[in-house]
Amino acid sequence: METMEKDTILIADDAELNREMIKFIFEEQYNIIEAEDGEQAINAIMENSDKICLMFLDLLMPKKSGLDVLRFMNDADYIDYIPVIMITGEATDETDEKAYEYGASDIIYKPFAPNVVMRRAKNIMELFEHRIYLERKLEKRTRQLRESREKLERNNEFLINALSSVVEFRSLESGEHIQRVKYFTQLFLKYIMKMYPQYGITNEQAILIVNASALHDIGKIAIPDSILLKPGRLTAEEFEEMKKHTIYGCELLEKFKQEDNEFYHYCYDICRHHHERHDGNGYPDQLKGDEIPIWAQIVSVVDVYDALVSKRVYKDPFAVEEAARMIMEGECGIFSPEMIDCFKLAKQELFAVTEGKFSFADVMVK
Amino acid sequence: MTVQEFYEEVGGDYNEIMTRLRTEERIRKFAGMFTRDESYKALVQCINDGNAEDAFRAAHTMKGMCQNMAFTRLYQSSHEITEVLRGKDLESAKQMLDVVTTDYNLVIAGIEKLLA
Repeated sequence: METMEKDTILIADDAELNREMIKFIFEEQYNIIEAEDGEQAINAIMENSDKICLMFLDLLMPKKSGLDVLRFMNDADYIDYIPVIMITGEATDETDEKAYEYGASDIIYKPFAPNVVMRRAKNIMELFEHRIYLERKLEKRTRQLRESREKLERNNEFLINALSSVVEFRSLESGEHIQRVKYFTQLFLKYIMKMYPQYGITNEQAILIVNASALHDIGKIAIPDSILLKPGRLTAEEFEEMKKHTIYGCELLEKFKQEDNEFYHYCYDICRHHHERHDGNGYPDQLKGDEIPIWAQIVSVVDVYDALVSKRVYKDPFAVEEAARMIMEGECGIFSPEMIDCFKLAKQELFAVTEGKFSFADVMVK
Repeated sequence: MTVQEFYEEVGGDYNEIMTRLRTEERIRKFAGMFTRDESYKALVQCINDGNAEDAFRAAHTMKGMCQNMAFTRLYQSSHEITEVLRGKDLESAKQMLDVVTTDYNLVIAGIEKLLA
C-alpha cells in the first residue's frame, strides 16, 4: 500500500458552533469533513479513511456517542491509522480513562486556545505518520527477508540434490533413488510426528532431516569403480570395502564440520548410521535400538525398501508386497517396532511411488 | 454595540474570547451560530416531555458552546442544570430552567443587538 497524501481532518460534534471553533483553526491548511453525530462520523471514517489524518471527537453526541465511535474504530482497525483527539467540557477521570483505553491519542478541554490545539494536533499527526511509516518499512523489510530466506532454501536444496546426485551419476543409476529416499523420508516423518510425538520432531527439523537424507550415500564417492560398478555380487572382501562408504561419508563431512549446526549433525548421523540394525548387527558401529538416531533409522528402512523394489545388475526387482513382507518379517534388515509401525502406515504411499502411479517429482518441488 | 459592550451586557468574558478567537469579526460570526443552535429549545422540550437523557445532552451541548464563547453567566446556569440532569433529577431541573431561560434570553437579545 502506497502512502498517499493525508490532508483531511474529521470533526465530529453535534453543535455547529463547536465544530466551527476547531474548523477555523485548521481550514487554511487542511480539508475539513464535519459530522453532526456518531453515525455520520462512522460513515465519514469508512468513506475517507485513506485521507483522514486526524479526528476531533465529541463525547456526547446523538445516535452514537464518541465512545461508540471509538469502539467502532477499534473493531474495524481504524484506531491504529487515524489519531483521535477527544473534546470534552469537563475533566472526569472516568471518561478520560475510557477514552484513552479506547485508543484516543489526546483529550482537549473546552474552552481551548487555538494555537495550543494546533500544536497538539500537529504533534499527534507527526507521531502517527512516523509510526505508520516505520511499520510499513518494517513490513517491507520482513517481506524481503522472507523472500531471500526462501531463495536461500531453494538454492540450498538445489546444491544438496546436485551433490548427492554425483554418486548416483557415477554409478550410472537413474538418479531418482535420491529423490525417492527424500520423499519416503518425508512420508515416514509425517507418521513419526503423528504417532510418536515423544521424539519431539518439529516441522523445521523434519525439513532438515529430509534434506540430509539426500546425502546418505555421499561416501560412495570414495569407493573404487571396480567395486561400485561391478556387474554382479560382491565378494566378502569387496563388501567390506563397500561398507566403508558410511565412514568415508563422515570423513568427507568432517572436513566442513559445523559443530553447532543441527543440519550437519543430521547429515553426519544419517551418513554414518543408515546401515545400523536394531539388533546391533549392522555397521559401522554396531549401534542397537535407541542408540541409532531416529533419522538414521528412517533413512535405513526407506533405503532398504527402495533397493528391494529396484532392479540391480545382480537381481530383479521384488514386487512391492513381497518387499514389504521381507521388511516386516525381518528378512532384510532388522528395524525397530516403531519403524515397522510407520512402514505399515506409509506402505500404500510407498507402493504408489514404486508403481509409478504417482509422480513424486511434482511433490518434491517446494 | 461593540463586542466588548456585548460581553459586558450578557455577563461574558471579553478578554478571554479575544485571546482565543483574536478578531471581533470572528466572534460576531460565532455569535450568529449560537443563535441558530437548537440546544436550548431541545432542553425546554425534553424537560417538559420528562426525557432526562436527551435533556442532559442538550444542556451539555449548550454548556459546551458557552465555554467556547466565554458566556460566563449562561455557562454557570447551564452547567448547574447539566449536573442535575446527569443525575436524572427532572424536578430540580424544572426549577432551574427559569434561570437558564433568563440568562439565555439575555444572550440572544444581546446578539441581536450586536449583529443589528
